[in-house]
Amino acid sequence: MDEIQNPTSLINKDYEEIELVTLDDWLDNFDELSKKGVGLIIEPSDDVYLIRDQLEFIELIALDFKNFDDGRGYTQAYLLSKRWNYIGEIIGVNAHLDQLQFMLRSGITTYQLLESYKGSNEEDYSNGFSLCYQAAANNNGLNLQY
Amino acid sequence: MYKYSEKDTQFLIERVDQFEKQLNRHLSGELDEDKFRSLRLRNGLYMELHAHMLRIAIPYGILSSEQLRALADVADKYDRGFGHFTTRQNIQFNWIQLPEIANLLRDLTDVGLHAIQTSGKATRNITADPLSGLTEGEIEDARPYCELIRRWFNLHPEFSWLPGKFKIAINGAKLDETALRIHDLGLRLVKNKKGELGFSVYVGGGLGAAAMVGPETASFVPVEDILSYLESTMRIYNLKGRRDHQKKLRIKFLVRELGASEFARLVDEDWQETKDDPELKLNLKELQSLKEVFALPIKPLSLDGFKDVADFNYGIWKKNNVRNHKVSGYSIVNISLTKPGAAPGDMTSEQMRVLAKLADQYSSGELRTTKRQTIVFPFVRQDQIHKLWKSLEEYGLDSPHQGTLAQIVACPGRDYCDLAKAVSIPIANRVQERFNDMNRLLDIGDLNINISGCENSCAHHHIADIGLLGMQKKGEEYYQITLAGETLHETNIGKKLGPSVSSDDIVDAVESIVNVYIDNRKKNEKFTDVFKRIGIDAFKEKVYG
Ligand code: SF4
Repeated sequence: MDEIQNPTSLINKDYEEIELVTLDDWLDNFDELSKKGVGLIIEPSDDVYLIRDQLEFIELIALDFKNFDDGRGYTQAYLLSKRWNYIGEIIGVNAHLDQLQFMLRSGITTYQLLESYKGSNEEDYSNGFSLCYQAAANNNGLNLQY
Repeated sequence: MYKYSEKDTQFLIERVDQFEKQLNRHLSGELDEDKFRSLRLRNGLYMELHAHMLRIAIPYGILSSEQLRALADVADKYDRGFGHFTTRQNIQFNWIQLPEIANLLRDLTDVGLHAIQTSGKATRNITADPLSGLTEGEIEDARPYCELIRRWFNLHPEFSWLPGKFKIAINGAKLDETALRIHDLGLRLVKNKKGELGFSVYVGGGLGAAAMVGPETASFVPVEDILSYLESTMRIYNLKGRRDHQKKLRIKFLVRELGASEFARLVDEDWQETKDDPELKLNLKELQSLKEVFALPIKPLSLDGFKDVADFNYGIWKKNNVRNHKVSGYSIVNISLTKPGAAPGDMTSEQMRVLAKLADQYSSGELRTTKRQTIVFPFVRQDQIHKLWKSLEEYGLDSPHQGTLAQIVACPGRDYCDLAKAVSIPIANRVQERFNDMNRLLDIGDLNINISGCENSCAHHHIADIGLLGMQKKGEEYYQITLAGETLHETNIGKKLGPSVSSDDIVDAVESIVNVYIDNRKKNEKFTDVFKRIGIDAFKEKVYG
């Protein structure tokens, strides 16, 4: 079994530690938290449309991929990144090795693998395909076949 | 004939390499059973009690002779010398050894065949009318569109982990051979008043326990906008589909719960945000070049003065198995593999090689597979049909059963499938034995009997004239009967006749149903029309009376 972690803070690209709050927390305490500068941890069942107009106040967003077969995170990543142009980091947490390329192409900017994948060859899965057949949030480095 | 490019082949190889790594991680204990299950199904691998089954896609039901030979080699090298053609344009190998799978798949990449998304919770292989391009009155050949849509959803990053499986069918012909409205998503090529080409979209159809005819969510989506519309449909499904209930994973449950018009509204709302994105427009240049490669390899022939051979057996076979072609001088020849004692859809490696050879000789090297588990030669010159028949006779492939009741569709059932509740193939064989008189078969005419071994409905029993569904009652095998399912002119799910019937009595029940049809039909009246006219009670009386 995977040991799911619930991170309470994450490091952003400027190496600053950012506190994470849940979506409910964020919505309930928007005035306070938006001034303070926090990150959001989004569960697969969370409705990201609720933060569509608040993205500029959010320091970073962590999408939780703990459930292997639950693909909602990919649509959440696409909406945040491609459709709503969120410019902060979108971090896939509790990530699974075999899904890395799907996550990265959907708009995840970085990821934290589950413990159980420590020592695996990430390249095989984050970069396993050299070409792609569809537009996506991030097709960098891929040979485009569409 | 359409062939994958070097880049496509490269992609197939990369997919096999990745799958091999996943398999090895599983075999060494690094990848747990649950995750591996999800991953292996995405590449067509079922692990069953006694053996492992691999499902290979046959896109749009089309095979080149070269591909069929490669499948024959696979059957010999990795299986027990045969393969099973399914109702959904796939071939399955039932006796595969795990460590050999990657090599098997590598062998097939050479001829552009693969197992990508033939199962699992993602977009499955897209199906089209196997007679695409061959018959009169088509709006357009659907295959170039199928191919562009298939590519787009090939390991799509956003939609590869959907709540449930997602089957798409696309039809461009007048009659709906694809049964598009019993698919998760069906597309019908249509022209609007201005003569522009587009698609009508139907979402949420399905067979199984809650069989449903998919409602229309859009009456006209312009061709160039279809990818964004499909993405929006899948996006709503991905976000809102029922992931909490194993039996409600398919999109039909979401459509039913929300109501078709609310579902369509949500899709439309999302679509308004993406439909003008130039990246999501269908690549019309690529479409044009696909139309050229899918174009028929034959030109009209004039066979003035040609008179076909008069021969009794040949005449019967020809009447049942040969259909008109839209190109003059040519015919479409159906080859039925039905034989007493043989499983419907099964083909030996020897038969595959014979058919490949004959396809080279008589059909421009191309064959097609149908949902009635037959093989079609799409390009046979009319003056060569007799010669072809002679060759088929020599190899025992001249069954005249096509288009008769004996051409039964059956899933593997309990003989091969761990999910089965009852056998399918032996029932098919018993019905064939009962109706083994050719005069009687000819008199009855075209009548579909489909037999599924469980509610997964792989043999599409809901859309057959007579559908049989295997089930268990107090440890015994029983069959539920449904009547008058259809998709060709309109889509109707078969109606339940009454209580299920025991294995011992099922063939008598089928015969009673056929007799009610024969006794009541007016000239040339189809089964479904008789059923609508006289009602279900007439059948009930005879079966249960
Ligand atoms: S219908 Fe059921 S028994 Fe038949 S092949 Fe499908 S899953 Fe197996």
